[in-house]
Amino acid sequence: MSVDTLPVPATAPPRPTPEPTPRWRNRESLTAWLFLLPSLIGFLVFTAGPVVAAGVISLLDWNLFSPPTWAGLSNFARLGPDPTFWSALGNTAYFTFLSVPLTILVSLLLALLLNQGLRRVAVFRSLLLLPYATITVAVAFVWIWLYIPHDGLVNAVLGAIGINGPAWLISDTWAMPALVAMSVWKSFGFGMVVFLAGLQAIPQQLYEAARVDGSSAWQSFRNVTVPMLSPALFFVVVTSVIGSFQVFDQALIMTNGGPGTRTTTLVMYIYRTGFENYDQGYAAAQSLVLFAFIVLITATQFVFQKRLVHYDN
Amino acid sequence: MQQRLSRRSFLELTGLAGLAAAAAGCSSGPPAGAATWSMWSSSAAEKKVWEDFSTYVEQQLKVRSVPTLTPSGGYPTKLDLQLVSGTAGLVTAINGTLIPTYAARGAHRPLDDLIAADPDFDPDDFYQPSRRISSFNAKTYAIGFDVAPTVMYYNKTLLQQHGIDLPSRTEPMSWATFRELAVELTRPPDQYGFTCAPAIDDLVSWIYCAGGNVMDDQATRSTLGAPEAMEALQFVIDLFVKDKVTPPIKNLVTESSMANFMEGNVAFMQNGPWQVVNARKAEFDWDIIPFPAGAVGSTPRVSGSSFAIPSGVREGADLDLAWKLLKTLTSTGALDIYARAGRNNPARLSAGSAFRPPPDNLGIVQQVLAGKVAGGHAFDVTTNWNQVKQLLGQDLPRTFLGQVTVADAIAGLTPRLDVLMRQHQDNIRQAAARKG
Repeated sequence: MSVDTLPVPATAPPRPTPEPTPRWRNRESLTAWLFLLPSLIGFLVFTAGPVVAAGVISLLDWNLFSPPTWAGLSNFARLGPDPTFWSALGNTAYFTFLSVPLTILVSLLLALLLNQGLRRVAVFRSLLLLPYATITVAVAFVWIWLYIPHDGLVNAVLGAIGINGPAWLISDTWAMPALVAMSVWKSFGFGMVVFLAGLQAIPQQLYEAARVDGSSAWQSFRNVTVPMLSPALFFVVVTSVIGSFQVFDQALIMTNGGPGTRTTTLVMYIYRTGFENYDQGYAAAQSLVLFAFIVLITATQFVFQKRLVHYDN
Repeated sequence: MQQRLSRRSFLELTGLAGLAAAAAGCSSGPPAGAATWSMWSSSAAEKKVWEDFSTYVEQQLKVRSVPTLTPSGGYPTKLDLQLVSGTAGLVTAINGTLIPTYAARGAHRPLDDLIAADPDFDPDDFYQPSRRISSFNAKTYAIGFDVAPTVMYYNKTLLQQHGIDLPSRTEPMSWATFRELAVELTRPPDQYGFTCAPAIDDLVSWIYCAGGNVMDDQATRSTLGAPEAMEALQFVIDLFVKDKVTPPIKNLVTESSMANFMEGNVAFMQNGPWQVVNARKAEFDWDIIPFPAGAVGSTPRVSGSSFAIPSGVREGADLDLAWKLLKTLTSTGALDIYARAGRNNPARLSAGSAFRPPPDNLGIVQQVLAGKVAGGHAFDVTTNWNQVKQLLGQDLPRTFLGQVTVADAIAGLTPRLDVLMRQHQDNIRQAAARKG
């Protein structure tokens, strides 16, 4: 019997090439995702989720207790004729445009001072960082005492140099600047530390080269320090503007938004609308408008960053 | 044998432990069948009273009592979140000014069916103003635990030092006499005649005494611009701005009439009997008298607080327990504890004897409520009272500072108040429609 046999190949057929493991499935990526997961979950649950939820809620009429009803864009339409909303937005902008430059100026001056090789610089740095590390509520109560019209420290000091200080926190004119002064004192520490790190990263050769070229101290500052510090400056400006647009606790504690609505900030108004007036839809609409303002301003800053910020690489 | 823990195993174990902790956190809560209730509490003394209440509840109901105590400032927000998330207690304390707000939104259930079905519960043992405060749209939404009229505290020592006759213990003085006394006793910057909070909560007493109100009877429009209300507002603002008989306002947020009075250099203070417990710490002799009488007499604000059952409490065993708990928390026995501690005048007539002197004239609180001395006016509020209060809190304090005139402030406020009154009417309509 002849048996047909299949020819035996001389070599085994080539094994099919395994599909390359997707990058996200390899062990290293999985480990990275595992470590990122807590932050990612936190971001999704506590930041992205609420933003999406605010978008949905802004289209509803909801008092928290009764089932929500569809409101369409009516909550956004209510913003136009609401004088308190515009007043709060104006106050927030006023606070931001006054407090951010002042905070940056104070932070930068102190960082420059601490970068001069002073003795015990670590002690000074820690002391100057203390206001930033202290909770705002405690600081606000101390500043209420400082601002007391007749017996407060601020007016006592002004009185000693012949100035009759105003009733800071109940004055139409001075209530907001008083809040700004407190906020600058509270927050300059953050900028100072960032600037100090930036200053210490500037190569000394640049200053030496400038000196060889005959630069004055001011010219060195303008042509070496400022450009080299511009990334840090940009970072502090962006974070300070965002933080200032969200000002809430100091205004709530020190003035409760008064006198009148002179220090009512947008976040304070959103809180009251949502949790004291139970108008969640309108509060969400206001929140989205605030979000849009912050995004717009931050985007504008990033546009200018390309021209004004110098990156070493 | 000891095994080495690999990094992978460590991460796995950590993850499992985290999940277990999260699950434990989610599942923690009061045991089933517990009598859960919430209340505000801002001091150790206040906390002690509520702990005693809790013990009393356990003795009476033979179930575990679980009170959730929250500082008064954060209580409404916490209550809202608990009500929305379905984690509120079976019974929740509620300030009388917020009862219409919660009732109109369906956050609490009406109690009329439970009252009608319970022959042991006697609503007539509660002061009439407390019953009015606890109702909305002709339905009872809460049962009071305290109620009291605003009175006038006075510094006896100061009056005696100046050789001034002590005011009548029962007959309210006229506004004119009050103003004369306040002016006479003012010696700035060391001594002042009067103190009150620069806010609507205190102003309404004067407005009621003048025959005015914040809004009309049906709450359809603001009546702060009416001559009666304007007269009252002008009188009080003049005490601050023109006569300057009040300590200077230093800050609109922390301004406290009680702190001013306790300094010992202020002759009169407008406040409620809930401050008696604090005034007892004064280092001078003091007492209380009826509120000064305006054009319609002495009819200051009467306010109080109550307990209510959230609408989320299910029918059946939960509701049975909630009603028993509510009855126990507002029973004579419980309110005796409250009154004996001096917290405030109890809402039940049968617990009144536990609210005892000092001060000597404390008895007028109950006489006023019973209509035997002077009078009172239940605090009229709307379903959006927070908004009304916010609006009035923006512009009225500026009149106390002399920054705007009363006429200008009210002219600016009235159209916005009218909008809020219309919103209030909408809330009532929606609440009625929901019930239907």
